[in-house]
Amino acid sequence: MAKHVLNCTVNDEPTEVLVQPWDTLLDALRERMGLTGPKEGCGTGDCGACTVHFDGKPIASCLLLAMQARGHTVRTIEGLGKPGALHPLQEAFVKHGVPQCGFCIPGVLMAAAALLTENPRPTEEEIRYGIAGNLCRCTGYTKMLAAITETAGAAAGRRS
Amino acid sequence: MRALAQRGPETKLLAGGTDLLPQLKNGLLKPARVIDLSGVARLRAVESANGQGLRIGSAVTARALELDRTVRSRYLSLAESGALVGSVQVRNLATLGGNLCNAAPSADMAPPLLALDAEAIILGPKGERRVPIATFFTGVRQTVLAPDELLVELAVPAPGAHSGGNYLRHTPRRELDIAVVGVASQLTLANGVCTKARVALAAVAPVPVRATAAERALEGQAVTPDRIARAAELALEAARPISDQRGSADFRRHLVRVLTRRTLTTALARASA
Amino acid sequence: MSSVMKTTRDVKGIGLSIPRPDAPEKVTGVVQYVADLSPRGLLHAKLLRSPHAHARILKIDVSKARALPGVRAVLTAADIPELKRKAPTRAHAVLAIDRVVFAGQPVAAVAADEPAIAEEALDLIDVQYEVLAVSADPLEAMKPGAPPVADAGTEADTSEAQAHGSVAGVTTEAKPAKAVNISQQARLQRGDVAKALAESDVVIEKTYRVPMVHQGYLEPHAVLAQWDTAGNLTLWASTQGSFNTRSEVADVLEISENRIKVIPMECGGGFGGKIRALCEPITAILARATARPVRYVMTRREELEAGMPAPQVIIRLKTGVKRDGTLMAIEGEAILESGAFSGAVLAVSGVFLASLYRWPNFDVKGFEVLTHKPSIAAYRAPVAPQTIFAIDSQMEQIARAIGADPVEFRLRHLQREGDKMANGQPWLSNGAVEVLTRIAEHPLWKKRAEWKASSKDGRLRGTGLSLGGWLGGLQPTGATVRLNPDGTLQVLTGQVDIAGTNIALAQIAATAYGVDIDKVKITTGDTDVAPMTGLSAGSKTTYTVGVAVMQAAQNARNQTLEIAAKELEASVHDLEIDDGKVVVRGVPNKGVTLAQIGKKGNLYMSKVEPVLGVSHPAFSVQAPAFCAQLAKIEIDPDTGELTLHDFVVVQDVGKAINPLQIEGQMQGGAVQSLGMALTEALMYDDKGRLMNPSLLDYRKLTAADLPNIETIIVEKPAPHGPFGARGVGEPPIVPAPAAIANAVEDATGVRLTVLPLSPERIALAIANGK
Repeated sequence: MAKHVLNCTVNDEPTEVLVQPWDTLLDALRERMGLTGPKEGCGTGDCGACTVHFDGKPIASCLLLAMQARGHTVRTIEGLGKPGALHPLQEAFVKHGVPQCGFCIPGVLMAAAALLTENPRPTEEEIRYGIAGNLCRCTGYTKMLAAITETAGAAAGRRS
Repeated sequence: MRALAQRGPETKLLAGGTDLLPQLKNGLLKPARVIDLSGVARLRAVESANGQGLRIGSAVTARALELDRTVRSRYLSLAESGALVGSVQVRNLATLGGNLCNAAPSADMAPPLLALDAEAIILGPKGERRVPIATFFTGVRQTVLAPDELLVELAVPAPGAHSGGNYLRHTPRRELDIAVVGVASQLTLANGVCTKARVALAAVAPVPVRATAAERALEGQAVTPDRIARAAELALEAARPISDQRGSADFRRHLVRVLTRRTLTTALARASA
Repeated sequence: MSSVMKTTRDVKGIGLSIPRPDAPEKVTGVVQYVADLSPRGLLHAKLLRSPHAHARILKIDVSKARALPGVRAVLTAADIPELKRKAPTRAHAVLAIDRVVFAGQPVAAVAADEPAIAEEALDLIDVQYEVLAVSADPLEAMKPGAPPVADAGTEADTSEAQAHGSVAGVTTEAKPAKAVNISQQARLQRGDVAKALAESDVVIEKTYRVPMVHQGYLEPHAVLAQWDTAGNLTLWASTQGSFNTRSEVADVLEISENRIKVIPMECGGGFGGKIRALCEPITAILARATARPVRYVMTRREELEAGMPAPQVIIRLKTGVKRDGTLMAIEGEAILESGAFSGAVLAVSGVFLASLYRWPNFDVKGFEVLTHKPSIAAYRAPVAPQTIFAIDSQMEQIARAIGADPVEFRLRHLQREGDKMANGQPWLSNGAVEVLTRIAEHPLWKKRAEWKASSKDGRLRGTGLSLGGWLGGLQPTGATVRLNPDGTLQVLTGQVDIAGTNIALAQIAATAYGVDIDKVKITTGDTDVAPMTGLSAGSKTTYTVGVAVMQAAQNARNQTLEIAAKELEASVHDLEIDDGKVVVRGVPNKGVTLAQIGKKGNLYMSKVEPVLGVSHPAFSVQAPAFCAQLAKIEIDPDTGELTLHDFVVVQDVGKAINPLQIEGQMQGGAVQSLGMALTEALMYDDKGRLMNPSLLDYRKLTAADLPNIETIIVEKPAPHGPFGARGVGEPPIVPAPAAIANAVEDATGVRLTVLPLSPERIALAIANGK
């Protein structure tokens, strides 16, 4: 079957890439664009490891066909921060010793970043629900909560 | 619509993709064509119809329903059901129409729409037709939709004054789960008497169902805790649960009682507020 | 071994909470897992798996699949000359020969240009099966005449038990008894149980059941295989032990080990499920058949249907005590359901049942039973959570029955160092008493009566605790420590770092050598370059590799001091390393820098030997590690929903090398334990088919289901551990099921003995007034 041209904005860059009609957005990011930060943990939207921002909102990129991203804006973990220029959430995740195996971490960070954009001062409950779509098997989530809470507090402190 | 008219069983309509893509992934479906509906503006709108109720496009996402001010203020049970689907990553994709057309017995958004007397607006080659949501589902993963038809909108009548609703479901996890049982209710009061009662159940029959015996036990009466308990008992008449990996038939019957009592108690409080 | 290094000031090494150095790469998504690798010419593998749990393969027709454009290889058992009948392990059963023994067993393999083409090819393979009767339940499978699982004459595989090296002195008989599906049995006996039970005042008999559960690592199994033209194989693997993977693959492929290089990629979680080879052999064979690099990544559905979960464990206990609390006897039977291939760790269960508490008389039997389900593997403290669920629930019930304080009752009878374990070996130094004592001092335990009394709105409140542990694993291992020309240290092991062990090893090297941690770099090498290193399993990385690193660093230090002694014309005994310099004690300005020494070891025409510290120890002394956990809960009796308000983990770690990483282990282990307690189960129908093959229905706990996990570290030094450290990884997964069951009884008066303690089980038990 013929490949299709997908035009969209990925991590602030206008992007044109050939995809198969059956490729999910996750497939396209990982296999056609080399953005392997988003992970496939289940392929059915049940683990959150593939979370990216789609027009600013967190989505499971394994549940969207790549061609549905035509004209839309996508941000992956590669567009959140970089080694040496980390996003405040990434800084906090390092400081609090969150990552163990690390496989869930890109998805959790994207979910947390979207949460803080939408709700800059979340309660503990709101943070828990904000990352409840992201399964983590190593950390027990406690250090994630601490890191996200600290980031939200610090951001709020800067604003006030 | 032209593409739709030509479509056969080999074509699947795609709204949010949260049900369709896992089925593609697991090889349960192998369509030759997939038509993406997510870009169609009419399908993504939530519009108030001058006090006549609400028209909700079938491609409105669960997350949009969860957050929509009008839905939250007048059709709270629907917002509550939207808030329970999957996780936020899924709710930003999952659509009302997808939830209904996928026609899982456990579809969370079906019971509130049943309790709100919603109608499905269906577009086909011969034009539009309206089907009460109560008759929309015809079996497990089956609806009244013909292959060349499309669910366009849901028309939800305004509940009127002194009306309150609620949707509750039971799941072992708080997020990222599927209803073991879901119950929606809507109570409308006038001078302390229930003028209209609706109770609808998910995941206890092949299709989402109204518990009409429970409704009749409340209508025309003052709604008291005893009558709610009686209605909860009667709700079981509509339940024909099976045992599966999510729960036994026994537990589901038990939950119908518990959740019907609770949802009616909440609906009463909201109607009285 | 726990020698203290002398320096004039404390170096920045052990005891510090330091983030792992690769954390920035992990939070930016830069770090690479197997599925992230796409070498030129890559092919994608897919496996056709049996839909039947037990069937004879009558015919396989792959002609249509082979004809599909983009397909590069389609293999069945007939195409693989190395395949043998009577496969002792899953790794050997690369593809089914003529009989499938579990649903999900691979019967054909495809390599193609695109994953979608490989999948289409699977659809084109025609397999004709004759469906056979299934042994889906272990109790049924034990009965004579049950449908047999293994081919007659297949030898039981006990290497898992050996890999965990956990229980010496228990002979497990690998010879099948009369019933065809009993693959191993063991028995531990002391005294006269029948007499002691007859003389008991309170006899309690209960059967506990824990279903098969999945390790639940987020990264599914994945491997990339490529051969060079000389016949050498490189495997990029997601493994807990690259040397073990190399040995298993070499054995299956019948090639020498030095022809295989295993490159351990970042491992997205293993928890015991990535010790044994699984998809590596078939991927290597596909790569050989196509002469191309081949990548295979399991789907989550495949992981759940055909991974290597933990066994179902059924434990019947009958205990007798005197009214004054004197222990009389325990009689027990532990049945471990291993699925289609043998490999369960049988003896751990017996030792904990019979001798965690000081039963004067015991008779505990263990059976490993085969069924037509995927074969099992280790899961973090294999069989310990299931066993502790039984014995700790039993102890709690005894304490309640005789009106004893549950903590005092446990403490009174808990093993102490020197007591004889059921296998005859003595209990070694451990902190069981200390952690149990410590958790009983926690305000949540002291205020448990107030919490229970505060129940309101029809909800029921309760508190429970439990004590469990792990005997500690051992495995020979190696490490080198080099001094670089700039005075920095280079540590090399083959240890796969999943949970943050490399930073702890670097801290050990820093302290043992006498430099600050920022001067130490640690590398996990592949099997071609690294010293032989054991598995990342058994709670033994810090305990064993830590010793190797410590000794290698000490060795490097000694070499450094000897070189410096010549330079400084001083005695080695008068030298110390301080701030990057070797100095004569008391003469701070007389010294030589580490960089000067390092440089001379790499200078053209230099006569100074390069500093290369080496250690490759084997071990004989385990370090048992214990953990106590407390749960403060609230139950909605109508729906059975359980709210976890607080959860406390107290653990003896010997010496906390890096408290930050240890807390993460304790919290993560506790949440896995809670998943086993509350929501997780692989559910099979009576045909042996998995009913919940998704992460929607195989419910791991989410952040919304949990409170913060409070951690309290207790340090009772392990006599042979590096700086007194003992294993940390496994103990925290052990206690929660019993702690929750005890809390549920506290809240509701109902005793539940089958996991998970789901809302359904809780609500129906309350409704039925059990």
